[in-house]
Amino acid sequence: MTSVTSVRNLRLKFPGESKMLFRDMSLSINRGEKVLLLGTSGCGKSTLLQVLSGLVPRTIDIPMKCDDIQIPDQWGFVFQDPDTQFCMPYVDEELAFVLENLEVPREEMSSKICSLLKEVGLELENIHTPIQHLSGGMKQRLAIASVLALKPDVIFLDEPTAFIDEKGTEQIWETVKRIWKDKTLIIVEHKIEKILDFADRLIVFTPDGEILADGNTSMVFTHYKEKFKEFGIWYPGAWDDYKREPIMNNKKELPNTMKLQIFKGYRNKEVKIVVDHLVVHSGEWVTIMGENGAGKSSLLLALMQLIKTSGDYFINDVPIRKTKDISGLLYLVFQNPEYQFLTNSVHDEIIYGLKNDQEIESDVKEILSSLELTSKKEQHPYQLSVGQKRRLSVATAFLQKPNILLLDEPTFGQDSLNTFKILEMIEQERQKGTIILMVTHDHHITERFATRLWEVQNGRIVTDLQLNKGGNVQRGILHEFII
Amino acid sequence: MQKGLKLTDILVTIVISIAFGILYKIWGPLYYAVKPFGLHIDQLIYGMWFMAATVAFLIIRKPGVALLAEIAASSGEFLMGSEFGLEVLLYGLIQGLFAEFILFAFRYKRFDLFIISLAALGSCAGSLIMDFYKGYIGDLSTWNLTLFIVFRIIGSILFTGLFAVSIAKALEATGVTNLVRSSSKKDHEALDQ
Amino acid sequence: MNSLFSGKYTWLHSINPSLKLLTILGLFILAINIHYLNFMVGFSCVILTLFIFGTGYSYKQLLLLSLPFLFVFLSTSSSMILFGKGETILFKWAYIQISEESLIRGIHLGFRALSFAILGLIFALTTKPVMLFYSLMQQLKLPPKFAYSFMAAIRLIPIMIEEYQIIINAQRVRGIEQKNHLLKKIERLAIPLLSQSIRRAYRIAVSMEAKRFQSNRKRTFYYEVGFSRNDLIFLCYFFVLIGLAYLLSNHYPFLPNTDVRYLSD
Repeated sequence: MTSVTSVRNLRLKFPGESKMLFRDMSLSINRGEKVLLLGTSGCGKSTLLQVLSGLVPRTIDIPMKCDDIQIPDQWGFVFQDPDTQFCMPYVDEELAFVLENLEVPREEMSSKICSLLKEVGLELENIHTPIQHLSGGMKQRLAIASVLALKPDVIFLDEPTAFIDEKGTEQIWETVKRIWKDKTLIIVEHKIEKILDFADRLIVFTPDGEILADGNTSMVFTHYKEKFKEFGIWYPGAWDDYKREPIMNNKKELPNTMKLQIFKGYRNKEVKIVVDHLVVHSGEWVTIMGENGAGKSSLLLALMQLIKTSGDYFINDVPIRKTKDISGLLYLVFQNPEYQFLTNSVHDEIIYGLKNDQEIESDVKEILSSLELTSKKEQHPYQLSVGQKRRLSVATAFLQKPNILLLDEPTFGQDSLNTFKILEMIEQERQKGTIILMVTHDHHITERFATRLWEVQNGRIVTDLQLNKGGNVQRGILHEFII
Repeated sequence: MQKGLKLTDILVTIVISIAFGILYKIWGPLYYAVKPFGLHIDQLIYGMWFMAATVAFLIIRKPGVALLAEIAASSGEFLMGSEFGLEVLLYGLIQGLFAEFILFAFRYKRFDLFIISLAALGSCAGSLIMDFYKGYIGDLSTWNLTLFIVFRIIGSILFTGLFAVSIAKALEATGVTNLVRSSSKKDHEALDQ
Repeated sequence: MNSLFSGKYTWLHSINPSLKLLTILGLFILAINIHYLNFMVGFSCVILTLFIFGTGYSYKQLLLLSLPFLFVFLSTSSSMILFGKGETILFKWAYIQISEESLIRGIHLGFRALSFAILGLIFALTTKPVMLFYSLMQQLKLPPKFAYSFMAAIRLIPIMIEEYQIIINAQRVRGIEQKNHLLKKIERLAIPLLSQSIRRAYRIAVSMEAKRFQSNRKRTFYYEVGFSRNDLIFLCYFFVLIGLAYLLSNHYPFLPNTDVRYLSD
């Protein structure tokens, strides 16, 4: 077998970091292989793709050296974020940009654009469609089409479905499998269920950037499952292996209730969400599910009074009519933790949430250690890892002691250790009497943690289901609604 | 230092500037709202129009960035249909050139408050030249003109100098600026350990 | 921005964007060299006429767009009227001194600001940014790395505006203290917005190079922007009408026709 890309004794270190990301790492990939790279976030998988494609150091200036490197002649790269891989406003213009780079004559462009779009199954009525009007999954297929235009032999895919819902994810992988079945694919992905049948080689990295395992799928999963658990890498059955530590908290606080009656939320004078009648009590954990754009976020914003609302809305029998009324009663954890960080260090971020000055330092210490952030307390919140950021933002929410806690996909993009940890933190709050309302796409969470499920469709709650917490019986019922 | 600006430098500079362009568009009407009172209170916030130049320079730290940033901010504002119309483009060009000139005079090696404030004054001088020519400000009565100039200088140092340095420092702390900085020789040597 | 309002496609849309930009710049330079009020008013009328009848927008939209202009006019002229130098005093109260000269100069400035604003708006309303940058690359040899960077940045504008609103909400929920002074508040908004923008811009640049973008290499163009007869009509419109305005203002001045600059020292 001939190798199409390889590197020998790679050393790489981010400026300002104390440790090398890779230290004398060697790797070789053969023609036609479908390789899946696995590891915790920050272990260097994405950087490795950039090295093998030559983007590092040519475009991305990171100090690196190696004894030998083989960069494929014809390669393409699909990136993670659908909003940052296009430079033009319209679908046709974006593909034309690639064709222009390849000096394709102008007369041939339109027909080429159409055939590229057809190949990735993106059949639009008009090729001059704004990219912003496409769904995330469609955007990623447009990105695949522009890579296709480069006629690559080796394709690097850096978590192409990280921001995409389940349906879009399926379509993306279906497309990739169809158009590139004879090519070499090097894939970084966390949601691996959809591609395990497709990958013929798995390379697992330790958090220190060393290769832990390299082999076929079944071999790796049989021999290294314990390591996957230890590092927090998702694997098929990770949820089934997860045993929740029973958290007992007997400190019952005042029971909370939330009541909604013909409650509507508006954006630009349009009704985005309608709730006919709902009552929620302390001890409930509601997961809110539904497709993108169904009205889940509008529901959270309406409850927070961040968009215009009408109708009856009571918390603990107090009517809520304006933003001021909810102060201290509700808190919303936004999806991007960075939006809610206000200070320059982890320590100050926690202090900011604490209301009274008494015993602050000992409280902070306790919180830091429970978040496993003690050693990072002087660091800027932006400099934390994805998981640490999320834990910090959830923890600062608890410090506000809200009666009702709203969360927008708090486990999105997290590794398994972090996901379980965050869910346990929330569970603890629930037992204290906080009402939990949580938007999520992950049915595992609904099955294992929620006590109630709302499904939102076209701006309405179409399903309101009481769940038997932790029971397996509900799984069958759930599938009907979600999938 | 590598010759010229790389695509990443250019794109980052332009996007930062357009972000400021959005702020300008939001602030533009505010500017006109305080203006008619005639006592030139508006001049105290005038300095914000040059901020894009110094902020972008402090982030990227390369020659040409300040000028590009001012041009980008003004074209962004122009394309969004600014109340100021076309003059923003020319003002942007002149202000950027003057700031760039100051930074050039110090060989693009210094990033402290003093130099940034000097660059702010450069932009301020550029804008005043335009105003003398276009707005006949020389024909204001002397006390009024003095007030006008003093307020604008204060505003320039406040926004383009102090505030820009403060924003750049805060951004530096987030670590995001590392993306656009060139790696040093020292970083490469660290690989041999 | 074009997307804010939509109008009909008119002959002004078909003018070569580089030519349109240069013409408007030329008119700008001409305008700051007009020192006589009658001509200034005539000049403004020529531009206003094109704005009203040439841009293809409904009168209602145009009226809505023009509202800020009244403000521009008043605010630009007022400080010169109230505080400008002049001999023939019409009104005096405390520091305020209105003279005939300053009054005329103020009105002159008002018209000047008005015509700049409308010229800018004519351009913005009838030019697609993408076409402008393709034309700048083809006619004025703007390096592609600048042109595509601008286009990429313009694409991000709506994304940034949306993000700006989300950040405001997110910080409100966090309980940002209202007593903070304005600059601190702006800085707290600016940091997440700018850091996200820097990351986005950087990633876009990387993905562009991954798609084999090289600024100094020869490239083909999806849109070829050329010239047409409309370009000639466009130039003639200004030549003829502004010439006419000049002649009329000299022969039939209906307003005091003196140099508005303060000359007598």
